[in-house]
Amino acid sequence: MSDLATRVRPVPPSTVVLVSGGSRGLGLAIVTDLLDAGLKVAAFARTVTPELAKLADAHPERTHVGPVDVTDLAAAQAFVRAAEDRLGPLDGLVNNAAVGQDSLHVHTAAADLARIIETNLTAPLQLTRLAVRRMLAQGRRGRIVNVTSICAQRGFPGLVAYSATKGGMDAATRSLARELGGRMLVNAVAPGFFASEMSAVLGQTQLDQIVRRTPTGQLTEPAEVLPVVRMLLCDQTNINGQVIVVDGAASI
Amino acid sequence: MTELSRARIRGLMGEVMANQGKVLPDDDAAELREIGFRSLDFSELALRVEDETEEELNFDAPGLRRIATVGDVLDFLAELQRQ
Ligand SMILES: NC(=O)c1ccc[n+]([C@@H]2O[C@H](COP(=O)([O-])OP(=O)(O)OC[C@H]3O[C@@H](n4cnc5c(N)ncnc54)[C@H](OP(=O)(O)O)[C@@H]3O)[C@@H](O)[C@H]2O)c1
Repeated sequence: MSDLATRVRPVPPSTVVLVSGGSRGLGLAIVTDLLDAGLKVAAFARTVTPELAKLADAHPERTHVGPVDVTDLAAAQAFVRAAEDRLGPLDGLVNNAAVGQDSLHVHTAAADLARIIETNLTAPLQLTRLAVRRMLAQGRRGRIVNVTSICAQRGFPGLVAYSATKGGMDAATRSLARELGGRMLVNAVAPGFFASEMSAVLGQTQLDQIVRRTPTGQLTEPAEVLPVVRMLLCDQTNINGQVIVVDGAASI
Repeated sequence: MTELSRARIRGLMGEVMANQGKVLPDDDAAELREIGFRSLDFSELALRVEDETEEELNFDAPGLRRIATVGDVLDFLAELQRQ
């Protein structure tokens, strides 16, 4: 039966990938890496940084960038359409955009709590739904990588809502992998702390403490996360529904 | 909104400590670490201030990391009420 045939046929490598939050930090590194690997990349953030604009200028035929707030579903929808017109049909998605937190739960304003959940959980679920609908409707197969965090698996004070959203995305990763029955590979990458605008709120004492507790003796570098994201998007593996932790064993 | 005076906040801080059988020293320069006033005690104090002013006081953790003395606590909460 065709269903069985579909199942045994491996999901092909992604060729056109949408990266949310591609303007700086890990997202920008992912965009750069995928372009270096020859893929076509559509990337957005609320603000297109000079670094992202430069990449787009350097690869005009393989890049589509624009300012989009991931929580604005209509804007995301319009961006995806424009990206597909320019680059061809999407067959990969990296849910990377997120906002951080550094406030104790009891002292976090209700509006901030809602904003963190909307940006880090509701919006990527919506974006995923949008991407999957487009792929399924055209009989395409594809790959999804959710950038989550070690916070989904280990407790950290000051990151309660953030951790909840990342745990939510880890859980969604597993259920979506089942739901999509092998037509798409859905995985998550969970980095340990790395230096970025998001983690800049961490004090030196906290950074020292994380490094001390990490067997490899260093914070994770974005460059160390890239090969894992690329593998999940491009290599033929049977990895599906997994959360791959990249944290130097800090959490074990 | 009613704004609590520094003296009133000090009074509430004393109550938080007394509940744990500790004493709040008179000296504003006293180190929190030495007197055993921990970050959750700070949260309790902030919530007591909220109770009296009926206004939520929300703040990020980095500001807290700079707080080392009794005086810092009082300054932080007095300032926060004004924001
Ligand atoms: N840094 C760490 O230690 C760490 C550890 C584990 C996991 N992570 C995860 O790694 C990913 C990247 O983090 P990072 O450290 O590289 O963060 P970052 O430097 O703060 O970058 C976040 C990216 O997301 C975008 N973004 C945020 N809110 C958005 C919105 N509403 N709409 C569209 N784009 C939005 C930002 O651009 P704009 O602000 O212009 O929108 C930016 O491009 C996140 O999922 C984060 O949770 C980070």
